[in-house]
Amino acid sequence: MKVQIDTTPALSFDSVSRAYDAGSGLRYALRDVSFDVEPGRRVAVVGRSGSGKSTLLHLAAGIDVPTEGVVRVRQRDLSALSEEARTMVRRDEIGLIFQFFYLMPHLPVAENVALPAMIAGEKPRTYRPRVRELLERVELADRALDPVQKLSGGEQQRVAICRALLRRPGLLLADEPTGNLDDENGRRVMNLMMDLVENEGATLVYVTHSREFASLADEVWELHSGKIGLPPRRSA
Amino acid sequence: MRSGSCTAARSVFRRAAPRDPPVAAFRVALLPLDIRAHLLVRYFTHSLGAQLRSGGSLYLLTVFGVALGVASVLSIQIVNYNALAAFEGTVRAVSGEAEISVFGKTPAFPERHYAEVLSVDGVAAAWPLYRVDVALADRDRFYLEVLGVDFFTPMRIPWRGDPDDVSAALAGDGWSAVTPALAARFGWAVGDTFEVHSGVRRVRLRVGAMVDFQELSPLASRKLVVMDIAQAQALMGRRGELHQIDVRTARGTDAEGVRRRLQDRLGPGMRVVTPGQRSEQAEGLLSAFRLNLSAMSLISLFVGLFLVYSSTQAGLIRRRMEFGLLRSLGATRTQVLALILGEVALLGALGVVLGLPLGYWAADANLEVVSATLTNLYLLEEISSLALPRWLYGLGAAIGMGGALAGALAPALDMSRRDTRALLSAVPLQERTESLVFRLFAAGAGILAATGLWYLGWGREWKHAGFVLCVALLIGLPLCAPFAIRQVCGRVRVRGFGPGYSLRGLSVRIRTASFAVASLAIAVSMLVGITLMIGSFRRTMEVWVNASIRADVYISPASWRGRGTAGTLEDELVEALASHPGVAAVDRLRGFPAWSGDRQIGLAGVDMQLPGGEVRFPLLDGNVDEAFRRVREDGAVLVGETLARGVNKWTGDEIAIAGPEGEVRFSVAGVYYDYHTGGGAVVMDLTTLEAFIGPGPVNGAALYLKSGWDGNAVVESLEARFSEAPLQIRSNRRLRDEVFRIFDQTFLVTRVLQGMSLLIAVCGIMLMLLVLVREQVTELALYRAVGARRGQVFGVFLGQGLGFGLLGLGLGLVGAVLLAGVLVFEINRAYFGWTIQVYWPWGPVLQQVAAILGAALLASLYPAMRASRTPAAELGRDDLMA
Repeated sequence: MKVQIDTTPALSFDSVSRAYDAGSGLRYALRDVSFDVEPGRRVAVVGRSGSGKSTLLHLAAGIDVPTEGVVRVRQRDLSALSEEARTMVRRDEIGLIFQFFYLMPHLPVAENVALPAMIAGEKPRTYRPRVRELLERVELADRALDPVQKLSGGEQQRVAICRALLRRPGLLLADEPTGNLDDENGRRVMNLMMDLVENEGATLVYVTHSREFASLADEVWELHSGKIGLPPRRSA
Repeated sequence: MRSGSCTAARSVFRRAAPRDPPVAAFRVALLPLDIRAHLLVRYFTHSLGAQLRSGGSLYLLTVFGVALGVASVLSIQIVNYNALAAFEGTVRAVSGEAEISVFGKTPAFPERHYAEVLSVDGVAAAWPLYRVDVALADRDRFYLEVLGVDFFTPMRIPWRGDPDDVSAALAGDGWSAVTPALAARFGWAVGDTFEVHSGVRRVRLRVGAMVDFQELSPLASRKLVVMDIAQAQALMGRRGELHQIDVRTARGTDAEGVRRRLQDRLGPGMRVVTPGQRSEQAEGLLSAFRLNLSAMSLISLFVGLFLVYSSTQAGLIRRRMEFGLLRSLGATRTQVLALILGEVALLGALGVVLGLPLGYWAADANLEVVSATLTNLYLLEEISSLALPRWLYGLGAAIGMGGALAGALAPALDMSRRDTRALLSAVPLQERTESLVFRLFAAGAGILAATGLWYLGWGREWKHAGFVLCVALLIGLPLCAPFAIRQVCGRVRVRGFGPGYSLRGLSVRIRTASFAVASLAIAVSMLVGITLMIGSFRRTMEVWVNASIRADVYISPASWRGRGTAGTLEDELVEALASHPGVAAVDRLRGFPAWSGDRQIGLAGVDMQLPGGEVRFPLLDGNVDEAFRRVREDGAVLVGETLARGVNKWTGDEIAIAGPEGEVRFSVAGVYYDYHTGGGAVVMDLTTLEAFIGPGPVNGAALYLKSGWDGNAVVESLEARFSEAPLQIRSNRRLRDEVFRIFDQTFLVTRVLQGMSLLIAVCGIMLMLLVLVREQVTELALYRAVGARRGQVFGVFLGQGLGFGLLGLGLGLVGAVLLAGVLVFEINRAYFGWTIQVYWPWGPVLQQVAAILGAALLASLYPAMRASRTPAAELGRDDLMA
């Protein structure tokens, strides 16, 4: 039997620029960036503060739209979609992980993980097994009913990773996932995230300041003044 | 917090060092204190401007809250002031020069007392007055008061222009002087004539002159008509009778001494009082009415304070980093506190500026209703125009400024005392209050329990105990709000991104949610509690009216208002009415004000021999058969509940009533349910009354029809037959309708106050939801980031608004039942002496519940819209609310 491999880029930027009106003229956060990310790849984006890393992630997630160029998630042009349609893409195809975890203080651990499914209108019986499975994989199954405030920083980020993976997104975007953790916890969270992404077969793009954590990726790109250093353009 | 919130701070620093703000900040921190204070004043002006531009709606709500609170209290104070001022104004206008006034304890007294007054040592001058209510013909219940005066006495009469030759006033052709306001209202000029009704008489009066009592006292009644006393007696009353003698004392004599000598000379059957004592009596009569209105307006103010608190808190949360920055640059806690309170004071002043005209407008809009209550229930002067003395401006300003500062003090202190690191960090502000939840609940429940125990143990005997219970409720209930929110919302199971999720979200926003819920709970308590009370009262009245208004047709002179002697029906007329073929029996009523000790009461004589007439007076105390037998045979009396409670006289006791020959003691045969205002009432058989006061015509007749006769048809036939006589002929249904029209009118102002409180509370909900939008910006952005549609976020926020509504409603309904209990069982009994049976007016309560939830939902629309517009991009890594 011949296995057909899906080679459609999970994420692609085509001559993407994002400029802001700085009063005295335009200020470019990202300028003429092009790249493709193949499915299943793990890409680390590094760069100094203000280099445009977060802007890149916001554009990839459809939270922001470029002033020029095209951003595609699995060949769908996000710029051409309405804000509501981009939200649907985010809900169904993208998982987001943040530096500050952003867990809901009024929900216990399991319900924090289940939040995207709740938003998607899934029935509890359909998402509960998945929640349990993910929590077991990050070794937090026994804390499922605990309030999130009782968790350590590392544990909170593990919950946030579970939340991002709950609906099996094809693309996972992580913005400084270890930025709020100490080295040891950061290392543990990164390893866990890499394992989970590999098991889930997802594509990962993450922003980090740490060379050590960047080295865990298949590719490392450096952003400098809104321009990408090593864009490995995939041949068409 | 985004960069915009520090605009004002930056603008000051830009002036100090345009190129390098951090250096400027360092310099500012090193400045001597006085210069820093100076800079803070400059900062204040910059800050306020910047804040108004960026968060104008919050400031608008603070101003609105203060304005509504001021308007609510001020409108009631204006009404209260003018209710009394109208009475005092007329007293001043009519008896302005008199230091003492003499009245009878019976409706009128013989003229011989005038000579007795003049003979008392120290009396320099005295002038008699004959005062009678008349109804203006062709106008529905438009009453004038005719003042019969002796033009040859030194009474001061404020003629407008040159009066007609006084001799014309004595000519006997109905010469009268009217006020310019009255003449203007009806387009009368000197020489015109108009008709009035006095009892069954029609009298044509001629405008002979204008007399402007407003010149002497701007608030004096405009419905005074001056006539020669002999003419007034002849045309509208009885010769040889007077109602009042005004006295001026000789220069240098002690007025109080003269008053005592007059009292000794005239005996206990007469009242000798100073104008001050007359005002005190009117004040006493109105005290319960005024106190209740004041209490309700203060509740509105209290709810307004919640609004100020909420808006201040909302404003401060937005500016947390700004204050952190100021503190880090060297501003002291006191300076930050002063900065915040300074802003609030300025907003409070704006609220006062808006609230003063709003309060005046509200008072003016309700003037007619209050005036009708004063004239219908208390038989006092109507309020013709509103005066706003300077002290009321001061009161409004003090309430507004004080209320604004009091409402803002807690959040201002909290913000100024907060650790600088905490202000600049991402730690949520809710923590401290959440840890206080149980202690607040314990304090609230403790206050309620302790007050309840105090009342049961000792407080019952104290007249004002009901208000203590209300205050305890106002304090205790809000303190329980955080606990209620945590208990309810914390237990909600989240099954999806829907209503349950909304409620659960409130459990971690206790501080914000508590104020919205508490203010709504107070408003709901007031709204529903008073509705329960009014509903119960109305139903009680229906039962009472069914029992006491049993005749088919009621007849009284058009001019009779329940006081005086002139509004009477001649015996021949009553006989003629009774001769109608449909009439089976006739009841007669003779009633007028009388005195029992120092208490003015209503005294009535009815036909106690009427078969089955016992049901007219449902007894609260006493055996029906025995009581009516004693009333019929022994000359005993029935006492109304209001009077019985006021003077503590019950079945078997004796009650003294002043008569022409002095006080007579009557045995109390029973106490009946009575819902009159004022001092209460005594009812006796007509024959007993005649023996006591002397024979005289009755004031009203009630006809019981034979079976098969229709009341309306009899009314029509009587109206046709007696069309010449100015009578009010009313069917049973019409009289009942009028009773309830007056009842509903009396509570109209209460309804307005209820509405104002609800409006303030609903604004509070909107404000709190806007605060939540601000507080939850990261949370909202996260929902959007993980795929929540705008509509879903909108729904969650709408759910939170509804959650506020439901929680406030739930807590408020508990408060409402307690408040209704206090009003029904304590305040009404203590102040009015009424027994109200408890009924549950489900219809109006359900309507209000629906209105409250609808209002909460409406108030949530705008914040929900704002929340749904939160972009996912708000999830910036520098966000303070993470």
